[in-house]
Amino acid sequence: MKRLTPQQIEGLIRVIGQTREHEFNCAECQSNVSEFAERQIAGLPLEGTLAGVEQHLTVCSECREEFLALEKILRAS
Amino acid sequence: MKPTIVTDRLPVPAKGIALRQGELGIPAFPRRADFPLTFRDRLDNIPDVVETEINWPEALRVTENSAAVSALRRILLDGLRIALRERTDVNEAQLEDFTHEALLRILERLDQFAGRSRFTTWAHSIAVNTAFTELRRKRWQDVSLDALAAEGQQLSEPAVLPDDALGSDEERTRLVGLLRKAVAEKLSAKQRTAIVCMLQEMPIDQIVGLLGTNRNSAYKLLHDARCALKEYLTAEGISPEVIRTAFAP
Repeated sequence: MKRLTPQQIEGLIRVIGQTREHEFNCAECQSNVSEFAERQIAGLPLEGTLAGVEQHLTVCSECREEFLALEKILRAS
Repeated sequence: MKPTIVTDRLPVPAKGIALRQGELGIPAFPRRADFPLTFRDRLDNIPDVVETEINWPEALRVTENSAAVSALRRILLDGLRIALRERTDVNEAQLEDFTHEALLRILERLDQFAGRSRFTTWAHSIAVNTAFTELRRKRWQDVSLDALAAEGQQLSEPAVLPDDALGSDEERTRLVGLLRKAVAEKLSAKQRTAIVCMLQEMPIDQIVGLLGTNRNSAYKLLHDARCALKEYLTAEGISPEVIRTAFAP
């Protein structure tokens, strides 16, 4: 295996730091991400369930990638 | 073979919503005083009415209502064009395929729409998930589990994770050293493999396929690994706050 890049190590440490004992999984994130995206764009508070979505997006690169794509669509429309 | 969604029939209103605008208080189509609306006018304007006023789940449940399906298809395709416009590896035919697949998934899941967002936002989120899942699958389809497992075994070697990987700063050197030790002592072989997958940004769905598990189990495997690493670092005096903020983007 190649030596890890500083970006990979920093990313791993960051994800470890953002880890919570209880987290949403990807399916739970997906179920709530549309509401999360609309409220975030509108500048509304992200509480309760939506805080769980926000936390999941910090540790899951796939869901984050999809959220950013959704955000791009909403901002363009 | 994929089921076909019929979208080329004449629009049929869902329980009268799409065309009976007057009864529902929906603004009439644009009027041209001297010329009555042609069928083409009506057809062109229907999607706008549908987008803003229709009860989407209800409209889409009416199987004959191809107007609603056509309108949603157009919305999703436009959305994916925006979401993926910077991807040079995606062509229009793929976008059409993603849209078709997403439409099928949406029609299957209409009962899951809880109304906490606009319907179209919910539908876009499914289309985006459909497209990205497929693109990731293609990217990773040739990776072998054996190769990843071997890399997982090497993850705690100094050659892969050297003390000075983040520079010579004393605190960072110690942090990397502890991380290497945590990987060696606290993670199972399967968890190390999962961490290697994560470092390479491999999608969960691919990890699921490689490890022969399901998505929730794969996520739990990674989550447990992250928790174990965090617990170790915390026990060694690295506070969660330091870990969380040390490399904030």
